[in-house]
Amino acid sequence: MQGKGLLTGLSVTIRHFFGKKVTVQYPEEKLPMSETFRGGKLVLDQKKCIGCRLCSMACPNEALDLTVETDENKKRHMKKYIHKSGRCLYCGFCVEACPTKAVTWDKNYAIACYTRTDLTYDAVKSDGRNETHE
Amino acid sequence: MHSGLLVMTADMLSNGIDSLIGNTLITQFIMVILEIVAIFAVISVAVIIQVYMERRVCGFIQDRLGPNRVGPFGILQTVADMIKLMSKEDIIPAKAERVLWGITPMLLFIPAALVYAVFPFDDGAIFTDLNIGIFFVLAVMSQSVLMFLIGGFASENKYSFIGGMRAVAQMLSSEIPMAFSIMAVVMVTGSLKMSTIVAAQSGTWFVFIQPLAFIIFIISMTMETNRTPFDLVEGESEIIAGPFTEYSGMRWALFFLAEYTNLLTAAVLTTTLFLGGWQGPVLPGIVWFIIKVFLMIFVFMWIRWTFPRTRIDQMMGFSWKILLPLALFNIIATGIGVYIYNWMY
Amino acid sequence: MTEAVSKVIRTEEYQLSMGPVHPSTHGVLQILLTLDGERVVKAVPCMGYLHRGIEKLMESRNYFQCMPYTDRLDYVSAMNNDFAYCRAVEKLAQLEVPERAQYIRVIMAELNRIASHMIFIGSLAVDVGATTGMIYPFRDRECILDIFNELCGARMTYSYIRIGGVKSDLSVKVIDMINVFLKNLSAMIDEYNDLLTGNEIFQHRLKNTSVITAEQALQLGLTGPMLRASGVNYDLRKDNAYSSYEDFIFDVPLGNSGDNWDRYIVRMKEMRQSAKIVKQALDGLPEGSVMAKVPKVLRPPKGEVYVTTEGPRGEVGYHIISDGTVKPYRVHIRRPSLINLQALDLMCRGYLVGDVVVAMSTIDPILGEVDC
Ligand code: SF4
Ligand code: SF4
Repeated sequence: MQGKGLLTGLSVTIRHFFGKKVTVQYPEEKLPMSETFRGGKLVLDQKKCIGCRLCSMACPNEALDLTVETDENKKRHMKKYIHKSGRCLYCGFCVEACPTKAVTWDKNYAIACYTRTDLTYDAVKSDGRNETHE
Repeated sequence: MHSGLLVMTADMLSNGIDSLIGNTLITQFIMVILEIVAIFAVISVAVIIQVYMERRVCGFIQDRLGPNRVGPFGILQTVADMIKLMSKEDIIPAKAERVLWGITPMLLFIPAALVYAVFPFDDGAIFTDLNIGIFFVLAVMSQSVLMFLIGGFASENKYSFIGGMRAVAQMLSSEIPMAFSIMAVVMVTGSLKMSTIVAAQSGTWFVFIQPLAFIIFIISMTMETNRTPFDLVEGESEIIAGPFTEYSGMRWALFFLAEYTNLLTAAVLTTTLFLGGWQGPVLPGIVWFIIKVFLMIFVFMWIRWTFPRTRIDQMMGFSWKILLPLALFNIIATGIGVYIYNWMY
Repeated sequence: MTEAVSKVIRTEEYQLSMGPVHPSTHGVLQILLTLDGERVVKAVPCMGYLHRGIEKLMESRNYFQCMPYTDRLDYVSAMNNDFAYCRAVEKLAQLEVPERAQYIRVIMAELNRIASHMIFIGSLAVDVGATTGMIYPFRDRECILDIFNELCGARMTYSYIRIGGVKSDLSVKVIDMINVFLKNLSAMIDEYNDLLTGNEIFQHRLKNTSVITAEQALQLGLTGPMLRASGVNYDLRKDNAYSSYEDFIFDVPLGNSGDNWDRYIVRMKEMRQSAKIVKQALDGLPEGSVMAKVPKVLRPPKGEVYVTTEGPRGEVGYHIISDGTVKPYRVHIRRPSLINLQALDLMCRGYLVGDVVVAMSTIDPILGEVDC
């Protein structure tokens, strides 16, 4: 009969009207990020990094700008690890490529910023998470 | 005889002013002004409540919470929006017919507010109990189509233009079944007067005597108020916002205001004609009236957030080929019923 | 209208430019409509507003680095795009994908197909004006996105399916999540059926509009649900089974009249079939590694391949030419959305403005893919 579907539809919506709500009230509640989450800012553990540049080579969009320094013992270490997050695809290839797992995501997804220059930051200066490049 | 809460308050007020000034004429004049102010206050407050309610209902139906940030439970959200709209830049399209375009939102509000003059809010609380009350409502309500048309034309925007044309087609097709469905009620009552119609429902509400008329009325009222499933005039996925496409800021807010005033009108009319108006046991009349009106508003919202939109040809076909014959049939049936009733008693 | 009258009342056709700024063009597409009143005389889709030159970008990246870009073509079903690209490269480099990886790929591709069809239902619902009908599928799609997020750390651009296999094995948690989702899916689809499919207004809007006959569909080169809605039984998963699709039992839903309603119903049914495939694949998941032996520097031999895969919108084809270096010499992508969009004029001609948005929705184009 015509009209039956309309009533079924109305019954669906009224059920939801009284039903449980599914939204997360963001600033108070936050979703947990998964182990594998790719996002936020890159954090470089300078002690682990061997300056091999594999990460920047794996990057599809040239988002990593590295300055490697060789000290007197012929040991390379990272002087600057500029991440141009405006170019970043968040593919995580850099993290995967690193042989010593020196570079990781900080998983802080609230990374919106006001100016374009804030997008570029140096991951070496951390532990300084969330610090922008001056 | 009149015992309603509102009437008592008004009487007290007028007596007070009378004793203060001592001139009946001036007192009456002041009372009229007060009544006009009261209408606008009622409308504005009702609109703010409705907008909040619409968002909440919509949110709840969609498994969300709706606005809950501004003020306790988000009740100040509408106020915040109003402030935002008022502080917006007034953009007038370069090619628009400036005068017509500018006055349309204001004109639109007039018929929307005018009908409140004849609504019985409580026992005796009616501003002017015209003896052609319901006819007056129909006549005034159909004026709003002109504003839609003017707005659509004056915007010089093709979407607005289509919207304006649709408005005419839609209002024409909705008003006729609506008038006929009201006719059945009028036949039962034998009067066009709003207060008589309400009084006639002291025993049984007309929704039980005239269920068919009730359904037809609800459907044509959704058409009249441009709400889904008949929101063709402003069907946002098709013609963006129809006649309001070019309006922004305060002007758009006026459209919005008129829209929700119309929704309130629809609910008030349904309550008056079919749900017994202010009548109800125990509680004072005005409370019953408000309960019923908001229940109707909820029904309209519930419908809106459930159904998809019809297409213009389907909507017109539906109202001319189905609603109108049904309404006519209802009139004939009512006529026979009334005749038999009179003959028997 | 008689001759005499039409001389007095002059009517004329007018152009309406729907989009690129319009609520229902699914992104930035412009449709130039020529209208006679509300009736459509001609509809010309103008695209290019989202062109990013992905095919060209790929030429300057090595085969691995192209992966994130395929995600960004059809961002609603990125898994299927990655899948198509990886299959093409694997064929080019003659890599053998382990069976476990093949199964996992199928699971992910089918889950993504369900997610994509949910978007379709949602956007169709909102285009016919049922806002609530949009929220429910989008809400349920979150479950799939959560699975993907747990799996590979991204909700939209996965880069999970890799050349030679998949990025990582399924964790127990992911398998649990998929099982829970499959259990709930039936109820979700029932809810859409109650809210939309059964709704008479919805039916009237969709039935007998924008009809494409089987012949026209073939001539236009339509693929995927668009083609099957017209009654042509053509599904690459069956007709040219790849990646172990031959191991699974499933039906290919077909329409018969090729109208908007059929296109909707076909996708509705496909969701259940996809769930069936996922279930079978999960149950029969073989042991083994999930990644083939892929050289660190991939230099496929000189030559070219064209490999097609059944995506949610149709046939996703990758034509890759290799000159023996680490970078592809040329990549051409057959994007189903682009080709399906060609049917728009046929679907709109003679119908009303209100039908245009519905036709647009049932084509279900993703503008990222149309403009590439
Ligand atoms: S996530 Fe991808 S694009 Fe971003 S820096 Fe790492 S490799 Fe480059
Ligand atoms: S971060 Fe890792 S890949 Fe990058 S230079 Fe350091 S060690 Fe090499």
